[in-house]
Formats: sequence, structure tokens, C-alpha cells
Amino acid sequence: MLPEFNKNKTMMRKFIIISAVIFGLLGIVFTILPLGTIAFIPIGITFILSGIAIQKSKNSQRRLPKIVLFISVLTFLVVIGKVIFVKDVIKTDKQFELKKEESKKEDIKDLEGL
Amino acid sequence: MKKIFLLLCFLFAFGIGFAQIKYNEKLIYSASYNMSGMMTQIAQVTMSTEMVKTSKKSFLHLSWEASTFSKWDKFFKIRDVYETYVDPVTLKPSLYKRSIFEGGYTKTEKYIFGANGKSINSSSKKRNTPETKKTVAIGSSTRDIISMIYKLRTVNFSRFKPGQSASFIIVFDEKEYPVYVRYMGMETVSAGNLGKKQCLKLSITAKTNKLKGRDKNLIWITNDINKVPVLIRFSIPVGTGQLSLSNASGI
Repeated sequence: MLPEFNKNKTMMRKFIIISAVIFGLLGIVFTILPLGTIAFIPIGITFILSGIAIQKSKNSQRRLPKIVLFISVLTFLVVIGKVIFVKDVIKTDKQFELKKEESKKEDIKDLEGL
Repeated sequence: MKKIFLLLCFLFAFGIGFAQIKYNEKLIYSASYNMSGMMTQIAQVTMSTEMVKTSKKSFLHLSWEASTFSKWDKFFKIRDVYETYVDPVTLKPSLYKRSIFEGGYTKTEKYIFGANGKSINSSSKKRNTPETKKTVAIGSSTRDIISMIYKLRTVNFSRFKPGQSASFIIVFDEKEYPVYVRYMGMETVSAGNLGKKQCLKLSITAKTNKLKGRDKNLIWITNDINKVPVLIRFSIPVGTGQLSLSNASGI
């Protein structure tokens, strides 16, 4: 009975760590993409899962969950920084502006013909 | 006499205050898209007006431009322009153009409204396809989507009761669609640099698959002479989003 219980516990721990790693990677991708605070969803899940994994692991097995936890904290800080410091701005698009100018000249010609 | 009376009734119901659409008006909106239940700001939409003169007459140029914020340009660049040239008094369109660039997909469309007001000469072009031209028959009151929005701003909603509708017919993608605008009541909404404003809440429905749901396409316009659209919520087949007014000038 006891070996079966330990086996299940180990499986559960592995499952939690794998899930934490997957959500951690998703958190990194969301942090790189300009998705704003949406990135907090995978980051938050990573933080919780890695915390549970640390609790369920023996001292010698805590290295990977700790790394994942550190990544979740790091990505959280990066997202906070991006939200505060990266402003929503429109870059001057010279090609777009030129196209608009040409289009307007063409419109005037069309309007003259009406 | 009867015709004059009917005309007066029409003008009274729909308002003759065309003067509120001024030229050199510029309204800047922040466009957000709903992603996983959270609104993410993706683009800036600019609504502007300017007077354009030809050798024969003057036109009011109404333009809507959508550009993604620079942080999005690398992933999904949008540069859309919807514009129309209308009569400054009646807001009747003469020339409508649509130029779309959405993540590499392009489409251009041009309608020249016939002098009789009953047809348009349309030319359209999609990416990797040749340009197509055709003449489309339309009703005399049919207008394009941009001039419809501006025309909406001239409607005198003060005489409307909640639930009462105004109707328009628009031509979009070379097809005519009836559009119904239902007055839903008053609400106070944050209007960017204008502060908090009492607004008319309007629900837009159209017999098209381009808009989804009942009362999910809403527009709030200020309850004053300017009738500035301050908040637009939309529900389209690919999701939901909103446009919030961030800056208004020239009103």
C-alpha cells in the first residue's frame, strides 16, 4: 500500500513540475509578445504550480521547481516594467503617409470628374 | 404642401443641425481587443474631417484611420483607411474608399456614387487577385458606412424614447444592408480629454453576419451639439473589442 502511495505522490510531483514548466514557457512567450497583463495568467499559474512542487519535493529535488519559480517572478517583473514604461505609441510610417498623399491626389482627380 | 410638410417632419425628426460636423475635427481613439477576457490595447483609430475643394465644389473629407501601436507592428501590422468625400451640408457621399492592410492581407475598394444617386461604380482589389469593376444599383438614400456614422451624429435623439430606432441603408462590400440604430437611454461615460460626459447610448444592428449579437454593438455619443462618439463596443465574428475616445480636438 505504502509503495503505491509513494509512487502516486512521485507521479503527481512530476506532473506538477511538467505543468509548471509548460506554463512557464507560455509565460515567457506571453511576456515577449505585447499582450500586456494577459501574461499574468500563465505567470500566475507557473508561480502557484512551482510553489506546490517545491512543497511536495524533498530538499535534494527542489532545484528545478525553484528555477521555474524564479522564472515566474522574473517574467512577472518584466511584464510590470513593460506595463509601466512601454507606452502605446504609433510610429511614423513614411510609406503609409506617402500612400495616403498619393491617394488624396487621385481622389481630387476623381472628384473633379464628378 | 404635403411634400413640404413631410420634408419638415423628416428634418425635425432627424435634425438639420449638420453644422455640428465641423471640418478639422480630430478624434483619437484607443482600440482594445478582448483576449481571454482581458482588454488589450492594440491600435489607435483616428477620425478626422477636412474641407477639400475642387474647381467646381467643396467636399467634406471624412476619414477613419486605424494603425496598430508600434509594439504590435512586428507581430500583426494594421494600416486601415476608410474615407469618404461628402457634401458638407447633406453629408451625401460622392466618393468612398477603403484601403486595408491587416497582417499582410490587403484589400482596396472604391465607390464613385452616380450623379443620380441610384448607382455606384465600384472597383475593388484583394491581395493576389486582379482588380474587379462593376456598377451596383443602390437606393437613393444609401450611403457608405463612414458617412452613415457622421449622419448618425446629426440625428436629433432628444425626441426619441428608449427603444425607438432610426434606420439607414449602407453599401458595404458592394451589397446594401439596412442598419438600425436603437436609442437605449442616457449614460455617463468617460470621454478622454473631455472628462465625463452624459451620453446617448445607441445599439446598432444590421442584417449581416459582420456584426454579432443583439445589443452587443453599442455606441455612446455625447448628449450635446457636438454628438462626439466617445465609446464604441463591437462584436464581430472574430471577437469583441472597443474604441475609447482618448483625445478630441477641433470640435
